[in-house]
Amino acid sequence: MNLYEFEAKRIFADFGIATPPGVRITRPEELRKIHFGFPFTLKCQVMSGGRGKAGGIQFAKDLNEGEALAKKLLSMTINGSRTESLLVEPKVSIARELYLSVTLDRARGCPIFIAAAEGGIEIESSNAIVTVPIPYPYQPYVARDLARQLGLSGTLFNKVADMASRLYRLFETLDLDLAEINPLVVTSGEDLLALDGKITVNDDAMARQPLFRGWQASHMVDLPERERKSKMLGLNLVELDGNIGIICNGAGLTMATMDMVKNFGGQPGNFLDAGGGSDQEKTLQAIEIVNENPSVKVILLNILGGITACDEVAGALVEFMKRNPKRTLVVRLRGNNQDIAEKMLADSGLKLFPDLEDAVKEAVSKAKVAV
Amino acid sequence: MILVNKNTKVIVQGATGKMGAAHTKRMLSYGTQVVAGVTPGKGGEKVPGTDVPVFDTVREAAEKTGATCSVIFVPPYLVLDAGCEAIDAGMSLLVVITEGMPPQDTAKLTSMAKSRGVRMIGPNCPGIITPGQTLLGILPGMIFKPGPVGMVSRSGTLTYEIALALSDADHGQSTCVGIGGDPVKGMEYPEVLTAFNNDPDTEVIVLIGEIGGNAEEEAAAFVKENIKKPVVAYIAGQTAPPGKRMGHAGAIISGGKGTAQSKMKALQEAGIEVALTPREVAEKVSKLRSQPVHR
Repeated sequence: MNLYEFEAKRIFADFGIATPPGVRITRPEELRKIHFGFPFTLKCQVMSGGRGKAGGIQFAKDLNEGEALAKKLLSMTINGSRTESLLVEPKVSIARELYLSVTLDRARGCPIFIAAAEGGIEIESSNAIVTVPIPYPYQPYVARDLARQLGLSGTLFNKVADMASRLYRLFETLDLDLAEINPLVVTSGEDLLALDGKITVNDDAMARQPLFRGWQASHMVDLPERERKSKMLGLNLVELDGNIGIICNGAGLTMATMDMVKNFGGQPGNFLDAGGGSDQEKTLQAIEIVNENPSVKVILLNILGGITACDEVAGALVEFMKRNPKRTLVVRLRGNNQDIAEKMLADSGLKLFPDLEDAVKEAVSKAKVAV
Repeated sequence: MILVNKNTKVIVQGATGKMGAAHTKRMLSYGTQVVAGVTPGKGGEKVPGTDVPVFDTVREAAEKTGATCSVIFVPPYLVLDAGCEAIDAGMSLLVVITEGMPPQDTAKLTSMAKSRGVRMIGPNCPGIITPGQTLLGILPGMIFKPGPVGMVSRSGTLTYEIALALSDADHGQSTCVGIGGDPVKGMEYPEVLTAFNNDPDTEVIVLIGEIGGNAEEEAAAFVKENIKKPVVAYIAGQTAPPGKRMGHAGAIISGGKGTAQSKMKALQEAGIEVALTPREVAEKVSKLRSQPVHR
């Protein structure tokens, strides 16, 4: 789950990372109550990146200009992401900018610091970055190593090392995938300030983080409706442009089935992994949600039952066909309790394919004649 | 065969839960020597539906049974604790089946395992099978046959699909290792590939990968330098859109990196045969077994 900038900054402040004094507004009139004077910065609160380039950050020199800008910014959609609110902050005098983040490095299998002696950069494409793996349990010397590699000295060395340690504590305590300060500003008074921040909370850890309880629904605003609904049901749905709806058990097999559909000349309409061990109810929910997609002409269900029982799937199919007798289904069923499933479906007229390639070819040819 | 055989003595942590109990029974019926279950507070009981004794701690279970491996089925937030307990009790191999373990917990557990010289498979994995001998995890035993193909994979059901294609074509398997679909995990490709390279029972290696990260690219470079046996690869997710998590926590194309195309190219450049369908994996294995290629 990605957080908005204003949320990330509140969390930074709780961990002793200084941020500019800011006020979040949802109506232009609220600017009148702001106490820190002019000029100030208005920043769109959106989930997408590329906000600055898209004009989502503006400066106002007085209230009139501020209100006009606020009205415009509040209605902005940036890269498909609607502006949730505005964060208003006093303009900061910048002596220097840095980049600082903590994330998990999947190749090394441990957290790492990523930093750069310049800020506001596209970190993926910068070649001036410094990375330091973080051993467990954490000790602050790792942050001092980082500060040294950034070429810092004196007071700034200590201040940056201290902030990096705080950022790591936050990252570990709240189970984050990413804690990023970009830019980390050195003010003309040699103080550090997190001018912009990004936090990604790990989805699997959210249930043990009381701070984020109930946040999920309000942070999935950019997901298409059916994908959001699936997520709430515990199903993994990703919608695509084609007309063959795909449901499998297991992520790898679902991707492989999509690839085969494409290789045999069809167009996958979605990825839906119903997960291992899904029962009749969950399988039925999965088929129904794919069926709701108006572009889908044919539903291809591919179940290789290891921990998933084929009879549970057959039960879901019987119920689905009762509700939707006209829908074209192509079903591959093999594995655990396959014989029971075959008996349950014997009278349905549904042909069962034991072989995946045959099922995919059938789905592709049916999709071509479907209107 | 690698890592496990018919003599391997196995503990199941979380054996009295629904998943744990069901799979303990399946493992026993496959022939796995499951010698103990561990559930705190249930010491003295039996794993439901079996004669396998349950202990309160891994240490006690290990002392009483001489087990060396633990298969972990406990809920996601308890895996770190359970894994550390198993390492401290002297287990040499952990197989973590649980899905949804927070990755920072995984990083802590793998760091402890490494420092103690303990091997760990998973989390979020189907486990490991040496066909005809033993099965640790949730793989459907009936799909696998003994034979000379070593398999290593990030996926569960896709591994079964490819094993089925191999078994149907009469290419049995020496051992099949599901390393799991999480971004941070225990054993990675190079460690498993090395074990297969040194295993006299393995003639051909099948590597199954998917989008996300660069483990397959690294595996390709590793094979080129270190692996003498022929390798056939399959990569899932050629049609996956960027920026979307495809089920597995680790299966995501981010910043244009981790695409199936990049992985397939790296594998081909390392002299590895890349198949486009599960059936083609079996066809390529047939070809390699009839006319071995030496690297």
